[in-house]
Amino acid sequence: MRVQLFATCLVDSLFPGVGEAVVAVLRACEVQVAFPLDQTCCGQPAFNAGDWGSSRKMARQTIEVLEATQDPVVIPSGSCAHMVRHGYLQLFADEPAWLARADQLASRTYELSQFLVDILGVQAWAGVPGGTCAYHPSCHLLRGMGIESQPLQLLESIPEMQVTRLEPDCCGFGGVFSVDQPELSSAMLARKLQAVHASQAARVIGCDVSCLMHIEGGLRKQGLDVRCAHLAQVLAGDGGGLR
Amino acid sequence: MSASFHQSVRRALSNPVLQEALDNNAARRKAGARRANATLDDPVAVRQHARAIRQTVLDDWEPMLARFIGACQANRIVVLQASSAEQACAHVLEIARRHDVRLVAKAKSMVSEEIHLNPYLERAGLKVVETDLGEFIVQLRGEPPAHIITPALHLRRQEVGRTFAEHLGMPYTEDVSAMTDVARRTLRQVFLTADMGISGVNLATADTGTLCLVTNEGNGRMVTTLPPVHVALMGIERLVPTVEDLAVILQLLPRNATGQILTSYVTLIQGPGKLAIADGSQHRYLILVDNGRRAMHATPLAEGLMCIRCGACLNACPVFQELGGHAYGSPYPGPIGSIVSPGLFGVAAFGHLAKASTLCGACQEACPIGIDIPRMLLHVRHQHFSGGGGRRYLRVGLRLFGWGATRPSLFAAAQRMAALATSLLARGKNWLRWLPPPANAWTGSRHFPPIATRSLHRRWRQTQGLARASTNGHPVDHAVLRPSDPEPAESPSPQDLCVQFTQALTAVSGEVIAVDPSQIFATLERLLPPDRGPGLYAGQAGAAPALVGELNRAGIEMLQGQWPAPSDSLNPERAAWGIVWAQAGLADSGTVVLPSSPVGTLTASLLPPTLAVILSQGDLHADFAAWLAAGGKAELKGSPMVVLVTGPSRTSDIEMTMTLGVHGPGRLIVLLTP
Repeated sequence: MRVQLFATCLVDSLFPGVGEAVVAVLRACEVQVAFPLDQTCCGQPAFNAGDWGSSRKMARQTIEVLEATQDPVVIPSGSCAHMVRHGYLQLFADEPAWLARADQLASRTYELSQFLVDILGVQAWAGVPGGTCAYHPSCHLLRGMGIESQPLQLLESIPEMQVTRLEPDCCGFGGVFSVDQPELSSAMLARKLQAVHASQAARVIGCDVSCLMHIEGGLRKQGLDVRCAHLAQVLAGDGGGLR
Repeated sequence: MSASFHQSVRRALSNPVLQEALDNNAARRKAGARRANATLDDPVAVRQHARAIRQTVLDDWEPMLARFIGACQANRIVVLQASSAEQACAHVLEIARRHDVRLVAKAKSMVSEEIHLNPYLERAGLKVVETDLGEFIVQLRGEPPAHIITPALHLRRQEVGRTFAEHLGMPYTEDVSAMTDVARRTLRQVFLTADMGISGVNLATADTGTLCLVTNEGNGRMVTTLPPVHVALMGIERLVPTVEDLAVILQLLPRNATGQILTSYVTLIQGPGKLAIADGSQHRYLILVDNGRRAMHATPLAEGLMCIRCGACLNACPVFQELGGHAYGSPYPGPIGSIVSPGLFGVAAFGHLAKASTLCGACQEACPIGIDIPRMLLHVRHQHFSGGGGRRYLRVGLRLFGWGATRPSLFAAAQRMAALATSLLARGKNWLRWLPPPANAWTGSRHFPPIATRSLHRRWRQTQGLARASTNGHPVDHAVLRPSDPEPAESPSPQDLCVQFTQALTAVSGEVIAVDPSQIFATLERLLPPDRGPGLYAGQAGAAPALVGELNRAGIEMLQGQWPAPSDSLNPERAAWGIVWAQAGLADSGTVVLPSSPVGTLTASLLPPTLAVILSQGDLHADFAAWLAAGGKAELKGSPMVVLVTGPSRTSDIEMTMTLGVHGPGRLIVLLTP
C-alpha cells in the first residue's frame, strides 16, 4: 500500500516532528509514504474566514498536487481532512469541472486514525506502555468527519495507558476566530483547561495540532506542566510534547 | 465585526450572574434533551423522518401553503397575509379596531418579537400584556427575551423579586413560588378581561388546517380560549403537510426544547368556538407573515427555514453559553439565529453574527432536524467578507497568505523568514509569550510556538524522505467483532399501556388512580379537601349527570364550565376544582386528550387550580400517532379545539426552578376506569 501524505501547513511550519511521527507510524504499518513537495495549505483558514477567493486558489493548488497519483491521501488533522472531503464540495459548488476533481480527491482522502483503523484494519497498538493522558475529541474530527472511536481505540489499546475522555466541547480555537474573537475564544479555552486539569492527566492527546497548539498555548500561559501531543507521536512512542 | 457586537461580547463575559445562569441553562437543557431523546425507540430514525417532513415544505412550499390556507378558511379562520413586518402589525391593529379592543393578552410568539408588534400596538393606544411568565418579567423590565424558550434566562430570583416588588406592589421576596403565585393572580385578571388574545403558532398542518401551540404554563391556552378574539401570528414556513407529520415533529420538539416527552399543553386549533356558549375564542384570525422568508428560500440559507424553534442549538452552543441571547441583537439568537437573522434581515446588518462561532458543529448535532448550520455560517461569512466585512488586518493577511501559499518556493522562503523572526522574539524560550499587535490577540491568553527552523519540507529533503523515521511501537490486528442486531419491539398490551401511562404521568407530577366507575364519587370525596368550594364540571351525556347529581346531593356545589359565564353565580372563576371526561389517553407521554365541547370541557380543565380527569382504560393509545390512526384524526377535524394535557401547568422561567400551577391547574389527577 502506498499513500500520499498531506501534512498540513501547521505541521509543516510549526510541528514538523508530528509529520515525522506520522511517516513513522504509516511505515510501521508497511505503508509507503509519498510527500508531494509542492503542498502548502489546503485553504481552510481562508474558507472559514469567508475569503473564498483566496481559499479556491489554495484548494486548486492542493487538488493539482494530490492528483499526481491516485493513491489514498492521508491527513493528520480532522479539520483539514474535513476541508478536503467536505469544504471543497461547498467551495466549488458552482464550478462543475473543479467540483468533479474535488469529489474525486475527497473520495480517497482520510484522516490518519480513520485510515489506520478503517482502511488498514489496525485494531490495537503495541506502543510504549504506561502513562496517563486526556483525549480531546476535536470538533471537525468528531462531528464533521464522524470519527469518534478510531483514535480512542488505538490510544486505549496501548498497554497500561490510562485514557480520560474529555467532554466533546470545543477548545475555542476556530482558526481566525481565535484572534477575531479573542475574548470568546479565551473563555472557551479556560473551560477546556479546567477539564484538562480535572483529568489529572500528564498529556493531552488529539488528532489536530491546531486545537492542541491552542490548548498547550493556554497551559503554558497558565504555567502548567501538562503538555499536548498528537496521536501519531504517541503511536510512534515519542514521550514528549508537540515539539 | 460590528463594534457594538464586540461591546456586547465584553459585557456578557464580564457579567458573573449571566455566566452562572448560562452555565446552568446549558447543563440542565443538554442533559434534559439527552434523557428525553433516549426514551425514543429509534431517535435517529425519528430525526430523519422529521427532517424529510420539513424538507417537503421547502420543496412544495407554495402549493402546501395554498392547501393550508384553504383548510383554515374551511375551518372559518380568517386568514390574512403580510409581506412585511409593518403590514403584519397593521393587520393586527385593524382587527383590534374592528372588535373595539383595548386590552390584549399575549402569549409567547417569536414572530411578534420579529415584527416589533408590542410597541406598534402600544403607540396606537392599546394595552398589551405578555402572559408567559418569562416574557411577563422581561416586559416589566423593558428588556427583550434572552432565549427563545427561556426569556428571563439571564435573571436571578433576586432581580425578579425586585422587579415584582417595584411593579406589582408585592413585598420583596426570593421565594419563586410566591412570585409565580402573584404573577398568576395578576395575569388571571388580564385573561378574564382581555378583549383579544394573541399567540404564535409552533406548527400548522396543511391537511386539517390545524394550528398547534406547544406550551407549559397554560397562558397559551388562556389567550386562545377566554378572550372573544384570538389572533395567531405565524411565519409562513412553520408548516407540515399532515397531522400525522405533526405527530412526528411533536416527538422531537418538546424533547429537544425542554427535555419533556410532551409539554403540559399541546393546543390543536381547528377553528373558532362554534356555539353561542363557546369553549374557545369565537373569532379567530391567522396572520401569515413572510417578512423575508420567500426571499430567504431562494438563497443557500433556505435550510434555515426548516427550524422548529426548539432552541436546542442555543443550549448546545459553546459561544451562546458565553454570550446569552441579548448580545446577538436579534429576536433570533444563537447558532440558528446567526443564519435566520441575516437570512431574513440582511447580511449587512447581521452577517457579523456568523463569525461568533468556531464551526464546532455542536448546533447541527443537537438540532432534531439536523440543519447544517455550520455550512450556512460559512456561506454568510463568505457573503460578509465579499461585502467588505471583517477586520482589515485579517482581510489583508488572508489574501497575502493565499497569494504566498500558491507559490510553494516563496512559501518555503517565507517560512524561513518567519522562523528567524519568531526565534528572535522567543529569546531562547520554547514558546513565544508575546507577539506584537495585532497578533497579541493570541498571546493575551496563550503562548505561541515559534515557526520551526526546519520545516517538514526541509526535513524531508535533507533526509532522503525521512528515511530513518521509525516507531517504538507497531500495529496489532484482531478479528472484527460486530454487535448483534437488536430484537424487534413487541406491540404493547392494554395492561402495558396502563402501566406506561401511569409511569409517564407520574414522572411529570401528575397523579393516576385506578377506580371502578361506581367508586368515582367516593374517590373524589376522599381526594378533595374539606373546604373544597364549588366544583366545575364538563361532561356530556353518559356518566356526567349521574356523578354531578351525586356530588350535588352531598352538598358539593357544581357549576358548568362555560365561558363567558351565563351569570355571576355560575362564574367558573369561583371553582376550586374541576372535573372533565377525557376523550383518549396517550400512554407514552401520560397525556389526556380533551376536546372543546358545548359544555365547556376546555374552560373547566383550565381555570380551577385542581383538575380531575376521568379516563377509560379502553381509550388509551400508545401515542399521539396511534390515536390519530384510531379515529383521532376525524375527532380532531370535527372539533374546533383539542388540547393534549400532560401533567399540571408548570414553569421553569425563574432560575429554571420548577413551579407547578402557573396559569392552568397545579394539580392533575387522572381517574383511570376499566
